[in-house]
Amino acid sequence: MAISKPKQILLVDDDQLFLKLIEQVFKKSGFICTVAPSAEAAIVLLQEGAKPDIILSDYLMLKMNGFEFRRYLMNEAAFKDIPFVFLTFFSDKDLVEKGLDLQAIDYVIKDTPINVIVSKVNNILFAVDKQRELSENEVKKAAKSLNIKSIPVKPPEIKEFTVDFWHQAYHGIPGGDFIDFIKVNDRYNFIVLGDIMGKKWMAWFFTFGFLSYVRSAVRFAAFNEEYSTAKILQQVNSIICFDEVLKDILSSLSLLLIDSETNRITYAGAGDLPLLQYSNETGELTMVSSSGLLLGLFEEGNYTEKEIVLNQGDRLFVFTDGMIDFIDKTGKKSDYNQFSKTLKPFMEKENNFTHIAKSLFSGNLNEQVDDRSIISIYKN
Amino acid sequence: MVKVYKELNDILLVNLNIKEASLENGDAFKAEIIKLFDKYHKSIAINMSAVEYIDSSFLGSIVSAFKHLISFQADVVLVGLSKDITNLFALTRLDKVFKIYNSFDEITNQ
Repeated sequence: MAISKPKQILLVDDDQLFLKLIEQVFKKSGFICTVAPSAEAAIVLLQEGAKPDIILSDYLMLKMNGFEFRRYLMNEAAFKDIPFVFLTFFSDKDLVEKGLDLQAIDYVIKDTPINVIVSKVNNILFAVDKQRELSENEVKKAAKSLNIKSIPVKPPEIKEFTVDFWHQAYHGIPGGDFIDFIKVNDRYNFIVLGDIMGKKWMAWFFTFGFLSYVRSAVRFAAFNEEYSTAKILQQVNSIICFDEVLKDILSSLSLLLIDSETNRITYAGAGDLPLLQYSNETGELTMVSSSGLLLGLFEEGNYTEKEIVLNQGDRLFVFTDGMIDFIDKTGKKSDYNQFSKTLKPFMEKENNFTHIAKSLFSGNLNEQVDDRSIISIYKN
Repeated sequence: MVKVYKELNDILLVNLNIKEASLENGDAFKAEIIKLFDKYHKSIAINMSAVEYIDSSFLGSIVSAFKHLISFQADVVLVGLSKDITNLFALTRLDKVFKIYNSFDEITNQ
């Protein structure tokens, strides 16, 4: 379920006094307000990254009027879907019709008491949220009935190792992160963690294309008894660069092969974040980097292989970039070192991944800015 | 979102005026860069010093714009990346893909 957070409104009016008044009332009602004294100023705010849930704009303004403003927004992919409400006078009746032709959600008569205007905006936002929720539920139902998953239901059982994972979709909607565990035989197991660049359904849709290629490449490699993670990545990358549908879609990928006979792990990465290896002996977390570029970027991805040795009690973390993103008072941040620093004290006192995940990752959903996935490989 | 700062002989210098570069503005950014390339037909240097946070969706849009330009033998050059964003580029090897400069002056003084 979506977490409700304060709604943001962009108020546009060249009547400074009315603007101030309406801003105060909306603020008191829990809105985060951005104000613009003209349509031109509002456009600059939007271009600079303002992301209102709704725009309430006067019709009659000097230079660019409300209709021209709306028409501009309609031609901009990034802004055309922001619910838009006109503020107008009764005398503008014919203009109201024109305004609704421009797909403005509604209009509000300017003489209306301001608390009624706030209620009307609240009702519009509620209806928009409800509609969005219904659409998302429809897609979720469709996805469920297709029985396709980009995240496994449970971790694999691998001799000599304990593998766990934790995943949280952004806003509860499946996104671009994908995980797969491919068992070749009792000796060899592949672990796959990928992240399609994008969010929500659009990214989710492409995960299956990537997963299919990775599974095929792994199976062919296993069939030929050629257990090289770098060669498999190069093969997947070559295919994607030629795929008409996927060639403009980019993805990071971490591919690991666990050999339960030699206890060795081989790893190759494509534009992925370095893994973190915890040594039980020294208590240190160290980065394990790879050299490969994002899948789909160039035909030659420069994939190389790394061998990782885990001793008893050691642990290896593989994760997507959502794990290192967070929000603080100053805004959104990506900080790999901060993530590593947060993880370290838990490693020293906690051996159970479920406990680590519960204490560390399952925090405030409002602080989440992307899909988050992490796989833990523990040497028994 | 993208404003032209200066046109040089072989490269167009532009400013990216957003604080958070994310999924919400990634497609619009890519469209603006491609529109500028269609107009000026030359490499584009993007000053990103106003950007404090970038998510993987927006990174995808930059890479996608870059792929489009290199298919016409032009380039996307990045300028003024913050420390966090520089780290992110290094961690994901994108620093090997893009030419990265501290300021427009570094480009013009070349």
